[in-house]
Amino acid sequence: MSATVADLLRGGVVTLKIASGAWVVSAVLGLALAVLQDLGLAPVKIFQASLTITLRSVPQLVILYLLYFGLGAVGIQINSILAAILALGVADAAFTAEYYRAGFMTVPWTQREAGFSLGLSRMGVLMRVVVPQTIPFVVPPLLNSFVGLLKTATLAAAVGAPEILYRGQNAMSRTGEIVLVVTIIMGLYVVVTMPLTRAVAVMERRLRSYAHS
Amino acid sequence: MSQLASWLAILAGGLIVTIKLSAFTTLFTIVWSTLLSLCAISQWRPLRVAAALYNDLLRSIPLLALLIFFYYGLGRIMAGLGVSAFWLAVAALTINESAYLAEVYRGTLLAIPQTQWEAAASLGLGWASTVRLVILPQVLAPGVPSTLNMLIGVIKNSSLASLIAVNEVTLTATILVSQTFEPMQVYLVLAALYLILILPISLLARWLERRFGIGAGMGEETQGAAEPRLAPQAGA
Repeated sequence: MSATVADLLRGGVVTLKIASGAWVVSAVLGLALAVLQDLGLAPVKIFQASLTITLRSVPQLVILYLLYFGLGAVGIQINSILAAILALGVADAAFTAEYYRAGFMTVPWTQREAGFSLGLSRMGVLMRVVVPQTIPFVVPPLLNSFVGLLKTATLAAAVGAPEILYRGQNAMSRTGEIVLVVTIIMGLYVVVTMPLTRAVAVMERRLRSYAHS
Repeated sequence: MSQLASWLAILAGGLIVTIKLSAFTTLFTIVWSTLLSLCAISQWRPLRVAAALYNDLLRSIPLLALLIFFYYGLGRIMAGLGVSAFWLAVAALTINESAYLAEVYRGTLLAIPQTQWEAAASLGLGWASTVRLVILPQVLAPGVPSTLNMLIGVIKNSSLASLIAVNEVTLTATILVSQTFEPMQVYLVLAALYLILILPISLLARWLERRFGIGAGMGEETQGAAEPRLAPQAGA
């Protein structure tokens, strides 16, 4: 029993690693997508719109299979954990880009005009004037997306990454300790994600009252 | 080209299972979310607490974990009762997805002024008649876009059912890969199939959102908050 518990906890660490990695990928790629969209170059816009539509329509599991089995077959073999980080991060970036875009909209257009009049370029205005002010607005949704990634990280089990659910599945079929495994995994998820979700809700409420005052 | 045609013929069988799985899940999710959201705005506290607990708990458990647990925990017993993995997947998807949709529905219900409930009561309408005659007709239209977004999430998430041996389109593709050894091409075709299935629904949802003024102006900001993600999240 204690061996199973230890094994699940080690799996939890791998889950955390996958979720954190995917979160970084999603936060960086999402910002890049949002900035590109904001700069509004026509070809980039079309590429970006089709990418967003695709990422929102294709299941994460299929993206993961493409990166792990698909790339593997054409000679680019990446390990299952890295494949999961990239697949989940890229899929999530389509949503993260929206959060940044919504954040950009909270900055009045007149500030951009003021920036231009000081001789800043479009990119300069965006990075020095707009982005710094949107940070408080994107923190809660980004935290939400981290909570979401903690959950979707379980998909990595499908390509054999030794995360918590993969180990749980093995334990259930090997030792038959179904109740133990279910209790521990559910318990861990509730203990970790519920307070995080609550904290994000509080932050959002504060931010909203701050924005309206 | 003929190779693609033969692949599509094989995948079509799985696609039908995916559509069936999503349709049943969507139907049950709408009913269950409606009940949950009515509990969540109930005057009776225990009901409110129970609904909040359900939503919080189910939203913190990954969908794949729920599916696997159902399969390992109940699979054998249910198989004995003649319930297949397909229905276990419908159950797990419904239980999970409702926790998200119920929160969205709750928001829609709260937009109806309390005075309407009072007015209905003063006319002598009972709770059930008030809900049926006064409340539901008003929330039906604004509820459509979020329900369509849920449907998109359900179609995407139904791919996870492949991992508990439901022969939907992702599993069909995986079997095809084991025969053709062409994962890149097969999975790209699979991705295209999902895109073709989901694109019309997303366009319709977006058009309706614009039509009803949800997601425009002030809606934009609430949308991000009330509508966590299309997938479970991702939801998953």
